Amino acid sequence: MKRTRGQALALLVFTMLIGAVPMTAHHGTAAFNTTKMVKVKGTVTDFQFTNPHVLLFFECKNEKGETEQWQGELTAPNKLIRAGWDKHTLKPGDSVTVGGYAAVSGAHTIWIRELIGPSGEALALFEE
Amino acid sequence: MAAASFAGMLCGQSPPAPTHDLTGVWMLRNPASMRAYAGATFTKEEPELTPWAQAKYKEAKASNNGTYTLETTNDPVLKKCDPPGVPRVYFHPYPFEFVSTPKYTLMLYEYDHMLRRIYTDGRSIPEDPDLTWMGYSVGHWDGDTTFVVETAGFNDKTWLDRLGHPHSNQLRVIERFRRIDRDHMQLDITMQDPKALVKPWSTTFYSELRPKWELGEISCSGDYLDFSKFEK
Repeated sequence: MKRTRGQALALLVFTMLIGAVPMTAHHGTAAFNTTKMVKVKGTVTDFQFTNPHVLLFFECKNEKGETEQWQGELTAPNKLIRAGWDKHTLKPGDSVTVGGYAAVSGAHTIWIRELIGPSGEALALFEE
Repeated sequence: MAAASFAGMLCGQSPPAPTHDLTGVWMLRNPASMRAYAGATFTKEEPELTPWAQAKYKEAKASNNGTYTLETTNDPVLKKCDPPGVPRVYFHPYPFEFVSTPKYTLMLYEYDHMLRRIYTDGRSIPEDPDLTWMGYSVGHWDGDTTFVVETAGFNDKTWLDRLGHPHSNQLRVIERFRRIDRDHMQLDITMQDPKALVKPWSTTFYSELRPKWELGEISCSGDYLDFSKFEK
Protein backbone atom coordinates (compact mmCIF):
# COMPACT_ATOMS: atom_id res chain seq x y z
CA MET A 1 0.00 0.00 0.00
CA LYS A 2 1.36 3.39 -0.99
CA ARG A 3 0.62 6.29 1.24
CA THR A 4 1.05 9.96 0.36
CA ARG A 5 2.82 12.31 2.77
CA GLY A 6 -0.53 13.95 3.50
CA GLN A 7 -2.08 10.62 4.36
CA ALA A 8 0.93 9.68 6.46
CA LEU A 9 0.65 12.94 8.39
CA ALA A 10 -3.10 12.45 8.83
CA LEU A 11 -2.43 8.97 10.16
CA LEU A 12 0.18 10.31 12.58
CA VAL A 13 -2.18 12.99 13.86
CA PHE A 14 -4.96 10.42 14.11
CA THR A 15 -2.68 8.07 16.03
CA MET A 16 -1.96 10.83 18.54
CA LEU A 17 -5.65 11.70 18.87
CA ILE A 18 -7.07 8.26 19.33
CA GLY A 19 -5.97 8.05 22.93
CA ALA A 20 -9.12 10.05 23.59
CA VAL A 21 -11.42 7.58 21.85
CA PRO A 22 -13.78 5.87 24.31
CA MET A 23 -13.02 2.24 25.13
CA THR A 24 -14.99 -0.29 23.20
CA ALA A 25 -15.23 -4.01 23.13
CA HIS A 26 -13.94 -4.00 19.60
CA HIS A 27 -10.30 -4.75 18.96
CA GLY A 28 -8.09 -3.33 16.28
CA THR A 29 -9.83 0.04 16.43
CA ALA A 30 -6.66 1.79 15.29
CA ALA A 31 -7.46 0.68 11.76
CA PHE A 32 -10.64 2.78 11.72
CA ASN A 33 -11.30 6.50 11.99
CA THR A 34 -13.60 6.48 15.00
CA THR A 35 -13.86 10.27 15.10
CA LYS A 36 -16.16 10.40 12.08
CA MET A 37 -19.19 8.39 11.01
CA VAL A 38 -19.63 7.79 7.29
CA LYS A 39 -22.47 6.26 5.27
CA VAL A 40 -22.46 4.05 2.20
CA LYS A 41 -25.58 3.03 0.30
CA GLY A 42 -25.23 -0.13 -1.73
CA THR A 43 -26.27 -3.65 -2.60
CA VAL A 44 -25.22 -6.74 -0.66
CA THR A 45 -22.91 -9.10 -2.55
CA ASP A 46 -22.10 -11.50 0.31
CA PHE A 47 -23.13 -11.96 3.93
CA GLN A 48 -20.98 -14.19 6.15
CA PHE A 49 -22.65 -14.98 9.47
CA THR A 50 -19.45 -16.30 11.01
CA ASN A 51 -17.04 -16.04 13.93
CA PRO A 52 -15.40 -14.09 15.23
CA HIS A 53 -17.26 -11.20 13.58
CA VAL A 54 -20.01 -11.12 11.00
CA LEU A 55 -18.83 -9.78 7.63
CA LEU A 56 -20.90 -7.92 5.06
CA PHE A 57 -19.74 -7.35 1.50
CA PHE A 58 -21.53 -4.85 -0.70
CA GLU A 59 -21.07 -2.71 -3.78
CA CYS A 60 -22.16 0.80 -4.63
CA LYS A 61 -21.95 3.27 -7.48
CA ASN A 62 -19.74 6.29 -6.85
CA GLU A 63 -20.20 9.80 -8.29
CA LYS A 64 -18.41 8.81 -11.49
CA GLY A 65 -20.80 5.94 -12.01
CA GLU A 66 -18.11 3.38 -11.20
CA THR A 67 -18.90 0.36 -9.06
CA GLU A 68 -16.96 0.23 -5.81
CA GLN A 69 -16.54 -2.96 -3.77
CA TRP A 70 -16.89 -2.51 -0.01
CA GLN A 71 -16.62 -4.72 3.06
CA GLY A 72 -17.97 -4.15 6.53
CA GLU A 73 -17.52 -5.78 9.92
CA LEU A 74 -20.28 -6.27 12.45
CA THR A 75 -20.10 -7.74 15.94
CA ALA A 76 -20.08 -11.48 16.76
CA PRO A 77 -22.91 -13.66 15.39
CA ASN A 78 -24.11 -14.70 18.85
CA LYS A 79 -24.53 -11.05 19.87
CA LEU A 80 -26.51 -10.38 16.68
CA ILE A 81 -28.65 -13.50 17.29
CA ARG A 82 -29.63 -11.99 20.64
CA ALA A 83 -30.49 -8.77 18.81
CA GLY A 84 -32.83 -10.76 16.52
CA TRP A 85 -30.63 -11.75 13.59
CA ASP A 86 -29.95 -15.04 11.86
CA LYS A 87 -27.91 -16.15 8.85
CA HIS A 88 -30.77 -15.17 6.52
CA THR A 89 -31.18 -11.60 7.77
CA LEU A 90 -29.29 -10.29 4.74
CA LYS A 91 -28.65 -11.86 1.35
CA PRO A 92 -27.03 -10.87 -1.94
CA GLY A 93 -29.13 -8.31 -3.81
CA ASP A 94 -30.49 -6.64 -0.67
CA SER A 95 -30.32 -2.85 -0.58
CA VAL A 96 -28.58 -1.55 2.53
CA THR A 97 -27.37 1.72 3.95
CA VAL A 98 -24.32 1.11 6.04
CA GLY A 99 -23.13 3.65 8.60
CA GLY A 100 -19.95 3.42 10.61
CA TYR A 101 -16.26 4.18 10.82
CA ALA A 102 -14.18 3.98 7.65
CA ALA A 103 -10.69 2.54 7.42
CA VAL A 104 -7.90 5.00 8.13
CA SER A 105 -5.96 3.52 5.22
CA GLY A 106 -8.63 4.62 2.75
CA ALA A 107 -9.58 1.03 2.00
CA HIS A 108 -13.27 0.53 1.28
CA THR A 109 -13.72 -1.04 4.66
CA ILE A 110 -16.13 0.03 7.34
CA TRP A 111 -16.71 -0.87 10.98
CA ILE A 112 -20.51 -0.98 10.94
CA ARG A 113 -22.33 0.93 13.68
CA GLU A 114 -25.74 1.29 12.06
CA LEU A 115 -27.48 -0.52 9.25
CA ILE A 116 -30.67 0.20 7.35
CA GLY A 117 -31.92 -3.09 5.92
CA PRO A 118 -33.85 -3.87 2.72
CA SER A 119 -37.19 -3.04 4.39
CA GLY A 120 -35.98 0.49 5.07
CA GLU A 121 -35.92 -0.18 8.81
CA ALA A 122 -32.84 0.07 10.98
CA LEU A 123 -31.61 -3.36 12.07
CA ALA A 124 -30.79 -3.79 15.77
CA LEU A 125 -27.03 -4.25 16.12
CA PHE A 126 -26.79 -4.57 19.87
CA GLU A 127 -28.23 -7.01 22.39
CA GLU A 128 -30.05 -5.69 25.48
CA MET B 1 -35.55 -12.89 57.71
CA ALA B 2 -34.06 -11.30 54.63
CA ALA B 3 -37.32 -11.61 52.69
CA ALA B 4 -39.16 -9.44 55.24
CA SER B 5 -37.12 -6.40 54.32
CA PHE B 6 -38.47 -6.63 50.77
CA ALA B 7 -42.13 -6.57 51.82
CA GLY B 8 -42.50 -2.92 50.87
CA MET B 9 -40.79 -3.24 47.49
CA LEU B 10 -42.20 -1.16 44.68
CA CYS B 11 -43.38 -2.55 41.38
CA GLY B 12 -40.64 -3.30 38.87
CA GLN B 13 -37.91 -4.17 41.31
CA SER B 14 -36.15 -7.48 41.28
CA PRO B 15 -37.20 -10.18 43.75
CA PRO B 16 -34.64 -11.17 46.38
CA ALA B 17 -31.73 -13.45 45.59
CA PRO B 18 -32.27 -17.16 46.16
CA THR B 19 -30.06 -18.89 48.75
CA HIS B 20 -26.80 -20.47 47.57
CA ASP B 21 -27.70 -20.25 43.91
CA LEU B 22 -26.06 -18.37 41.04
CA THR B 23 -27.46 -20.67 38.34
CA GLY B 24 -28.16 -18.93 35.07
CA VAL B 25 -26.71 -16.74 32.36
CA TRP B 26 -25.16 -13.43 33.43
CA MET B 27 -23.93 -10.45 31.46
CA LEU B 28 -21.47 -7.90 32.71
CA ARG B 29 -23.21 -4.51 32.78
CA ASN B 30 -21.14 -1.89 34.54
CA PRO B 31 -22.64 1.54 35.28
CA ALA B 32 -21.94 4.41 32.91
CA SER B 33 -19.57 5.98 35.42
CA MET B 34 -17.12 3.11 34.77
CA ARG B 35 -17.38 3.24 31.00
CA ALA B 36 -14.18 5.22 30.49
CA TYR B 37 -11.99 2.35 31.67
CA ALA B 38 -13.97 -0.79 32.50
CA GLY B 39 -13.92 -2.13 28.94
CA ALA B 40 -10.18 -2.57 29.18
CA THR B 41 -8.95 -2.43 32.76
CA PHE B 42 -10.11 -2.69 36.37
CA THR B 43 -9.63 0.75 37.86
CA LYS B 44 -9.28 4.34 36.76
CA GLU B 45 -5.99 4.50 38.66
CA GLU B 46 -2.96 2.51 37.59
CA PRO B 47 -2.08 -0.47 39.78
CA GLU B 48 1.21 -0.28 41.64
CA LEU B 49 3.56 -2.51 39.65
CA THR B 50 6.89 -3.95 40.71
CA PRO B 51 9.92 -3.04 38.55
CA TRP B 52 9.68 -6.51 36.98
CA ALA B 53 6.08 -5.87 35.98
CA GLN B 54 6.77 -2.30 34.84
CA ALA B 55 9.36 -3.60 32.39
CA LYS B 56 6.92 -6.19 31.03
CA TYR B 57 4.10 -3.66 30.81
CA LYS B 58 6.27 -1.40 28.64
CA GLU B 59 6.50 -4.20 26.08
CA ALA B 60 2.73 -4.59 25.82
CA LYS B 61 1.19 -3.32 22.59
CA ALA B 62 -2.52 -3.36 23.34
CA SER B 63 -5.04 -2.93 20.57
CA ASN B 64 -8.09 -2.29 22.69
CA ASN B 65 -7.73 1.43 23.09
CA GLY B 66 -6.99 2.01 19.47
CA THR B 67 -3.23 2.27 19.70
CA TYR B 68 -2.30 -0.85 17.76
CA THR B 69 -4.01 -2.67 14.92
CA LEU B 70 -4.54 -6.41 14.67
CA GLU B 71 -1.32 -6.56 12.67
CA THR B 72 0.83 -4.62 15.14
CA THR B 73 -0.51 -5.68 18.55
CA ASN B 74 1.29 -8.30 20.65
CA ASP B 75 -1.81 -9.11 22.69
CA PRO B 76 -1.58 -12.91 23.18
CA VAL B 77 -5.36 -13.34 22.91
CA LEU B 78 -5.54 -11.54 19.56
CA LYS B 79 -2.23 -12.69 18.13
CA LYS B 80 -2.26 -16.33 19.16
CA CYS B 81 -5.83 -16.97 20.24
CA ASP B 82 -4.44 -17.79 23.69
CA PRO B 83 -7.07 -18.29 26.38
CA PRO B 84 -7.64 -14.99 28.19
CA GLY B 85 -7.02 -16.27 31.73
CA VAL B 86 -8.70 -14.94 34.85
CA PRO B 87 -9.72 -12.18 35.40
CA ARG B 88 -9.13 -10.94 31.87
CA VAL B 89 -11.94 -13.19 30.67
CA TYR B 90 -14.39 -10.58 32.01
CA PHE B 91 -13.24 -8.07 29.39
CA HIS B 92 -14.71 -10.16 26.61
CA PRO B 93 -18.17 -8.69 26.10
CA TYR B 94 -19.98 -12.02 26.22
CA PRO B 95 -22.15 -13.66 28.88
CA PHE B 96 -21.15 -16.39 31.31
CA GLU B 97 -23.17 -19.08 33.01
CA PHE B 98 -23.05 -20.82 36.39
CA VAL B 99 -23.91 -24.50 36.49
CA SER B 100 -24.10 -25.96 40.01
CA THR B 101 -23.44 -29.57 40.93
CA PRO B 102 -23.07 -31.04 44.43
CA LYS B 103 -19.26 -31.07 44.40
CA TYR B 104 -18.31 -28.30 42.06
CA THR B 105 -19.68 -25.31 40.21
CA LEU B 106 -18.93 -24.83 36.54
CA MET B 107 -18.42 -21.42 35.05
CA LEU B 108 -19.00 -21.43 31.33
CA TYR B 109 -17.90 -18.35 29.49
CA GLU B 110 -19.37 -17.86 26.05
CA TYR B 111 -16.11 -16.40 24.78
CA ASP B 112 -14.14 -19.21 23.16
CA HIS B 113 -15.98 -21.83 25.29
CA MET B 114 -13.85 -21.11 28.33
CA LEU B 115 -14.59 -23.41 31.26
CA ARG B 116 -13.71 -23.17 34.93
CA ARG B 117 -14.36 -25.94 37.43
CA ILE B 118 -14.71 -24.48 40.92
CA TYR B 119 -14.45 -27.21 43.55
CA THR B 120 -16.90 -26.80 46.44
CA ASP B 121 -16.15 -30.11 48.19
CA GLY B 122 -13.97 -28.48 50.83
CA ARG B 123 -10.62 -29.16 49.22
CA SER B 124 -7.87 -26.56 49.13
CA ILE B 125 -5.88 -25.36 46.15
CA PRO B 126 -2.91 -27.78 45.83
CA GLU B 127 0.41 -26.50 47.20
CA ASP B 128 2.14 -26.83 43.85
CA PRO B 129 -0.58 -27.02 41.19
CA ASP B 130 0.06 -27.64 37.53
CA LEU B 131 0.02 -24.27 35.83
CA THR B 132 -2.92 -23.62 33.52
CA TRP B 133 -4.50 -20.76 31.59
CA MET B 134 -7.63 -20.50 33.74
CA GLY B 135 -6.13 -21.68 37.03
CA TYR B 136 -7.28 -24.06 39.78
CA SER B 137 -10.36 -22.83 41.65
CA VAL B 138 -12.06 -23.61 44.94
CA GLY B 139 -15.21 -21.93 46.19
CA HIS B 140 -17.43 -21.62 49.23
CA TRP B 141 -20.51 -19.65 50.31
CA ASP B 142 -20.13 -16.71 52.63
CA GLY B 143 -23.65 -16.23 53.99
CA ASP B 144 -26.69 -16.94 51.80
CA THR B 145 -25.85 -15.07 48.64
CA THR B 146 -22.08 -14.55 48.29
CA PHE B 147 -20.00 -17.19 46.53
CA VAL B 148 -16.28 -16.76 47.17
CA VAL B 149 -13.87 -18.25 44.64
CA GLU B 150 -10.11 -18.43 45.08
CA THR B 151 -7.96 -19.31 42.10
CA ALA B 152 -4.22 -19.95 41.68
CA GLY B 153 -1.97 -22.09 39.52
CA PHE B 154 -1.94 -19.78 36.53
CA ASN B 155 0.76 -19.80 33.91
CA ASP B 156 2.30 -16.39 33.26
CA LYS B 157 1.33 -16.12 29.59
CA THR B 158 -1.83 -14.09 29.94
CA TRP B 159 -2.43 -10.41 30.61
CA LEU B 160 -4.48 -9.26 33.60
CA ASP B 161 -6.48 -6.89 31.40
CA ARG B 162 -6.71 -5.63 27.84
CA LEU B 163 -4.07 -2.97 28.40
CA GLY B 164 -1.40 -5.57 29.05
CA HIS B 165 -0.78 -5.33 32.79
CA PRO B 166 1.28 -8.46 33.42
CA HIS B 167 1.23 -11.11 36.12
CA SER B 168 3.46 -13.98 37.16
CA ASN B 169 2.65 -17.58 38.01
CA GLN B 170 2.30 -16.45 41.62
CA LEU B 171 -1.01 -14.75 40.76
CA ARG B 172 -3.89 -15.45 43.11
CA VAL B 173 -7.37 -14.18 42.27
CA ILE B 174 -10.22 -13.86 44.74
CA GLU B 175 -13.68 -13.35 43.27
CA ARG B 176 -16.67 -12.60 45.46
CA PHE B 177 -19.91 -13.09 43.52
CA ARG B 178 -22.54 -11.32 45.62
CA ARG B 179 -26.05 -11.75 44.32
CA ILE B 180 -27.69 -8.51 45.37
CA ASP B 181 -31.17 -9.60 44.28
CA ARG B 182 -32.47 -12.12 41.76
CA ASP B 183 -31.35 -10.14 38.73
CA HIS B 184 -28.19 -8.36 39.90
CA MET B 185 -24.78 -9.54 40.96
CA GLN B 186 -21.80 -7.63 42.24
CA LEU B 187 -18.41 -9.14 41.46
CA ASP B 188 -15.53 -8.05 43.68
CA ILE B 189 -12.20 -9.08 42.18
CA THR B 190 -8.88 -8.96 44.01
CA MET B 191 -5.59 -9.87 42.37
CA GLN B 192 -2.54 -10.71 44.47
CA ASP B 193 0.85 -11.30 42.89
CA PRO B 194 3.99 -10.50 44.91
CA LYS B 195 6.16 -10.64 41.80
CA ALA B 196 4.03 -8.22 39.75
CA LEU B 197 1.89 -6.15 42.12
CA VAL B 198 3.29 -4.09 45.00
CA LYS B 199 -0.09 -4.41 46.69
CA PRO B 200 -3.29 -6.26 45.76
CA TRP B 201 -5.33 -4.77 42.92
CA SER B 202 -9.09 -4.73 43.48
CA THR B 203 -12.20 -3.70 41.64
CA THR B 204 -15.95 -4.22 41.62
CA PHE B 205 -17.81 -5.14 38.46
CA TYR B 206 -21.57 -5.57 38.03
CA SER B 207 -23.61 -8.23 36.23
CA GLU B 208 -27.23 -8.75 35.33
CA LEU B 209 -29.17 -12.00 34.94
CA ARG B 210 -30.28 -12.75 31.38
CA PRO B 211 -33.01 -15.42 31.80
CA LYS B 212 -33.85 -15.57 28.10
CA TRP B 213 -30.29 -15.93 26.83
CA GLU B 214 -28.46 -19.10 25.93
CA LEU B 215 -24.73 -19.27 25.48
CA GLY B 216 -23.78 -19.53 21.82
CA GLU B 217 -20.50 -19.91 20.02
CA ILE B 218 -17.87 -17.25 19.72
CA SER B 219 -14.46 -18.45 18.74
CA CYS B 220 -11.26 -16.50 18.68
CA SER B 221 -10.24 -18.06 15.38
CA GLY B 222 -11.83 -17.14 12.11
CA ASP B 223 -11.47 -14.71 9.26
CA TYR B 224 -10.90 -11.06 9.88
CA LEU B 225 -11.26 -8.34 7.28
CA ASP B 226 -8.56 -8.24 4.65
CA PHE B 227 -7.98 -4.53 4.14
CA SER B 228 -5.50 -4.99 1.30
CA LYS B 229 -8.16 -6.44 -1.01
CA PHE B 230 -10.28 -3.32 -0.63
CA GLU B 231 -7.76 -0.59 -1.27
CA LYS B 232 -9.13 2.55 -2.80
